[in-house]
Amino acid sequence: MEKRFPHQVALVACNDGCRNISCSYGCIGCGMCVSICPFDAISFNPNGAAEVDETKCQGCSACVIECPRGIIHLHEAGSPMVVKCSNKDPGKLARAACTVSCIGCGICEKACPSGAAKVVDNLSAIDEGLCLSCGMCAVKCPRHAIYDLRGVLTPRS
Amino acid sequence: MATFYVNGRSVTAEKNQSLLRFLRDELHLTSVKDGCSEGGCGACTVIIDGETCRACVPKTDNLEGRHILTVEGLSDWEKKLYTYAYGEAGAVQCGFCIPGMVLCAKALLDKVDDPTEEQIRYAIRNNYCRCTGYVKIIKAIELAAKLKKAGVIPEPSETDWKLGSSVHRLDVDEKVLGYGKYPDDWYMPHMTYGSAVRSQYPRARVLGIDTSKAKALPGVVAVITAENIPGENKVGHIKHDQYSLIPVGGLTHWLGDPIALVVAEDQEILEKAKKLVKVTYEPLPAVHGPEEARQPDAPRVFDEEADNVQAYKHVSRGDATGAIDKSKYVISKHFETPWTEHAFLEPECAVAYWDEDGYVRVLSTDQSSHTTLHECKLLLGSEKVRVQNQLVGGGFGGKEDMTVQHHAALITYLTGRAVKVKLSRAESLLIHPKRHPFWMDFTIGCDENGIIQGVKASVYSDTGAFASLGGPVLERACTHASGPYNYQNFEIEGTAYYTNNPPAGAFRGFGVTQTCFAIESLLNEMAEKIGISPWEIRYRNAIRPGQELPNGQIVGAETGLVETLEAIRPYYDAAVAAGKPVGLACAMKNSGVGVGLPDWGRCKLIVEEDAKVHIYAGASCIGQGLGTVLVQMVVTNTPLGRDDIVYERSNTWIAPDSGDSSGSRQTLVTGEACRRACEKLTEALNTRTLKELNGEVFYGEYLAKTDKLGADVPHPVSHVAYGYATQMCVLDKVTGKIESMVAVHDVGKAVNPLSCEGQIEGGVVMSMGYALREQYPIDENCKPIDKFGKLGLFRAHEIPEIKAIVVDKPGLDVACGAIGIGEITSIPTAPAIAEAYYQLDGKRRTSLPLADTPYERRG
Repeated sequence: MEKRFPHQVALVACNDGCRNISCSYGCIGCGMCVSICPFDAISFNPNGAAEVDETKCQGCSACVIECPRGIIHLHEAGSPMVVKCSNKDPGKLARAACTVSCIGCGICEKACPSGAAKVVDNLSAIDEGLCLSCGMCAVKCPRHAIYDLRGVLTPRS
Repeated sequence: MATFYVNGRSVTAEKNQSLLRFLRDELHLTSVKDGCSEGGCGACTVIIDGETCRACVPKTDNLEGRHILTVEGLSDWEKKLYTYAYGEAGAVQCGFCIPGMVLCAKALLDKVDDPTEEQIRYAIRNNYCRCTGYVKIIKAIELAAKLKKAGVIPEPSETDWKLGSSVHRLDVDEKVLGYGKYPDDWYMPHMTYGSAVRSQYPRARVLGIDTSKAKALPGVVAVITAENIPGENKVGHIKHDQYSLIPVGGLTHWLGDPIALVVAEDQEILEKAKKLVKVTYEPLPAVHGPEEARQPDAPRVFDEEADNVQAYKHVSRGDATGAIDKSKYVISKHFETPWTEHAFLEPECAVAYWDEDGYVRVLSTDQSSHTTLHECKLLLGSEKVRVQNQLVGGGFGGKEDMTVQHHAALITYLTGRAVKVKLSRAESLLIHPKRHPFWMDFTIGCDENGIIQGVKASVYSDTGAFASLGGPVLERACTHASGPYNYQNFEIEGTAYYTNNPPAGAFRGFGVTQTCFAIESLLNEMAEKIGISPWEIRYRNAIRPGQELPNGQIVGAETGLVETLEAIRPYYDAAVAAGKPVGLACAMKNSGVGVGLPDWGRCKLIVEEDAKVHIYAGASCIGQGLGTVLVQMVVTNTPLGRDDIVYERSNTWIAPDSGDSSGSRQTLVTGEACRRACEKLTEALNTRTLKELNGEVFYGEYLAKTDKLGADVPHPVSHVAYGYATQMCVLDKVTGKIESMVAVHDVGKAVNPLSCEGQIEGGVVMSMGYALREQYPIDENCKPIDKFGKLGLFRAHEIPEIKAIVVDKPGLDVACGAIGIGEITSIPTAPAIAEAYYQLDGKRRTSLPLADTPYERRG
């Protein structure tokens, strides 16, 4: 299918760093999104979290609707800097829950040159309308919760 | 430590540092420009493993095994391709963003053969350009894609270099390929780094400066304070009111006031040492704005002044009050416009060293090397200074004042060492003078046919911490507040107040951007009241050749406002007929300083050993393309061809002082001086060849003679020429966003129509920002709080279609009829947009940026 440009694609906002520790927000590996995706664009990454192949995703939102944790959302494919965490607990709890969780420390907000990165409810959020895709947030994030999906500034997953 | 590849070569970075610092400071790949070092601007864009990335973001230790490409590493074919495409499209102005833009294009074209315009816009949307408005950069990438596919690079479409020919600018190669040098691109042997410790308080008495700890730090070369200054401490464009270094006992005026200059062997030691300079202050209450400044008991910004009034202007002709009283229709309104940051891509930087002749040589990025020379000589108390312009990465008025040049000169003079003084982007945002915020009350009276009977206004501005060009800006705001119309009852008074905010000074439009918003908005409202269209009311009142402007000047045959209105009419009528919300506004802007000030253009044509004519004019090319203009002048006015001519950047020891690049004056004033030199050269060429003329100098000068403001003559000539413009904004009814802008400009004679269009597009996009989104918020400590990336500048994917139309109208008898275009491009934009939004939703908006539009800033 021909994609219009710019286009939106799905993002699983979790990188499953919790392994055996429990996080009440993150991906549980249920596979609902993997099975429902009509474009075969979702699979599990080596960490066990569902991950979207942006080249295949058509932004149909099926996974967004079906995810039992509600942690899949659409984002702009042209904006590769993303927060892969959905944990809204205060820093201490979020830190205990996972090795790559956002603890709401606000370093991304300080590093962001355009006012796009903001911590809301203890969780970093990037306003893609303002984001310049510089990746300053991704390289400065002490928890490695912000990713460069192109794999340039951070590992892909 | 990490090993990776740069342009195919394996390199090892021993120290963990930002990729930008490694590429520039160690590999000297200076095409990678340092515009902010905080991820905001995009000037340092490189390609890492096929993806664009700002070099200031990644640390070298994280790049093990990566492949990094800069424009130096493009293939020869790609270099030719992009140089041609950017030149042919006219996409290069100041050039600072261009290497990054080229790499964005390459990364895109490596993946997509045949990109859509949308894809191109998205490929460059994270990179800011402040000069071009992106239009021609997008065209350049479209062209590059086409040529890449075809595999053949043709000849430039225009090659004769005469006036009116859209030749490739002469600086395209060095800017596209990044080898042209801005001051920051110089790395002198044993160069030190200098930077100023600045005031912690906007207004405080400096009680003591302890430099001992800083001086004791190994690697610190010197710490300089006011007592070390050999000459005059204070500098200033017109009024010498700006301390180069605040002395003990002195009063600080804003957070940018320098107190001590630290000089160190490298940038890391410099930053450490700056923190070790201990300054004690007596903090004093600050003045936060004009309302505070004008209170009788307000703290005084300057010890030396009786009050906080920096300038007061009163312009009156005819009887405005009487005429308004007798008018059938009268409207009075209050208007406000904000601070605006120039946001040129290249932060201020100067390099100084002792040259081989025993002079302190200053390599500068400024709007006049001679102004820099003058200030440096006073500061050093020495004649032994030479200034040479480097490439200037945009100015827009923001590089007219001393920021780093004088500090660099002082350091070299005192330490004997070469030095680089560069402002960080945060310092740049604080330090150079901004566009004045204005508060304006206007009253207009018209008869039943919409003919303007009289206008009366009162305005005031915040000129911040020192005078800079606050007085002339206020004056221009007042003299142009009437608009380009034919009526004779006009009165305005204006006041500029000192405050402890950052200074305000010159900014493209020079005060006229502000008052034009008021008068044009009123005219739009008046048209509705009378029941005629905004186009019609302007056509009825427009100044025509031989008529008298409200300032008393009788305008010449070159006056082309009516032609701009006629040219825009089909677009206007079509948009109205289609039921689209459309807004219109006109403007005039002087070309040349005017109002009786000495306004000299000077140019030397020197035939050198290479049997070529070298053009020397002490006039800065700040990105507008002055070098190309002067070469086209010489080709037109002599029998010589392009290959016989070399353009030399402005310097102070060969090139004669030709004034500031300010007031849209260089094309006209220096252009005419150049033309006069050409007459002499042509005469000499009648009998001798260039080879025989070796060593001969042909000098031309031109005084743009005008009358003083309020001169006691019936028809004072305020300015030698004015440019005129009509701009139009069409909105998309559904999205509420701008669908298109049409900008028609009368330029007398377009020297290079493509460059002219580029100026127009850039000016329109700059003022779309001014109209819709740009802000420069200042907190309660008089500190600007936003970073560069947060100013609200427009990005490539957000710009509408922009139609630039150049109207040539002969009649001006100097400079082959060419009138400067620099500023007027930005002037009528905001009121045109405001009117379009009124047509959309019925709300009259009287302050900028306009509220309730889809462009309004979030957060």
